[in-house]
Amino acid sequence: MSDPLLDDLDHQLIEILSKDARISNRKIAADLGVTEGTVRGRVKRLQQDGMIAFTAITSFGLADQTRLAFIGVQADVGQVKDIANEIADVPLVNAAMITMGRFNILAFCLFNELDKLHEIASDQILAIKGVHHVETSIAVKTIKYNSRIVRITKPENPAKKK
Amino acid sequence: MGDDFTTDDLDMEIIGQLRKNGRATNQEIADRLDLTAATVSTRIKRMEKANKLRVIAVSDFAAHGYNVMIELAIEVEGRPSSEVARELAEFPEVFAAHLVTGRYDIDMLVVLHDYEELANLMLNKLSTVKGVRSMVPAIAIDVVKYEFDVAPLSARGAV
Repeated sequence: MSDPLLDDLDHQLIEILSKDARISNRKIAADLGVTEGTVRGRVKRLQQDGMIAFTAITSFGLADQTRLAFIGVQADVGQVKDIANEIADVPLVNAAMITMGRFNILAFCLFNELDKLHEIASDQILAIKGVHHVETSIAVKTIKYNSRIVRITKPENPAKKK
Repeated sequence: MGDDFTTDDLDMEIIGQLRKNGRATNQEIADRLDLTAATVSTRIKRMEKANKLRVIAVSDFAAHGYNVMIELAIEVEGRPSSEVARELAEFPEVFAAHLVTGRYDIDMLVVLHDYEELANLMLNKLSTVKGVRSMVPAIAIDVVKYEFDVAPLSARGAV
């Protein structure tokens, strides 16, 4: 992930659109004192470069999965990248990163019932070849959270869903 | 959570369309679902007003120049962990903070532009918070996936 060359206007556009994606190009253009064509072009470029994606975020209460858990995984170091990708593909796993520290993979997963979390951690993740150990920790209360910044993995098709 | 707000299949279908493309116009969504644009607009507004839905641009860590992500597991001593977490959450580098079950009390994600910022964050900011007994880091060397389409919309800084 190289440093992108985003200028002030790009950052202003991201700031505006990260509050409300449904605001029209015309309104943004008027607010920023640029032409509608500029806004359209910039937004398109940011999307193509995988810098932004437009989506809908729903509250935990509206979703079937209302709880968040952290799953620390100790996996075979030689295969850690493949294993992390495999974990990332497990349904309900929303984040997976390769780490240095207590674990070598850290995954975040959404769940509703405890037995579902157990199934994800102990049946699905622990069953992956090369995974030696999993440890779960449940988020009881969220003090701070930022759903606007993510890893955009599929620039061509930012809204891909599992 | 635990309130009387309800949604029906139509709401969920509209959300489904917005997840695919948050910039789709009301008319485009209406055409696809065989509705009127006014219905689409009303339904979206109702959910937004109730804090159940946000249609936004999400941006990549790279768009903000965040090249470093570290998970910190924190042990608290002699002070309520919720208080400690709230104080830690004040720092802009703290991206997310949760109270958790298990061996540690607080789980945080911090993001930095580069490693040079780490010393200042650890020594002059996080470790000055009363009640922090220990911090155990896990340095993310590759963020394979990080995408959330649900979030605690009422939490601080959520959207």
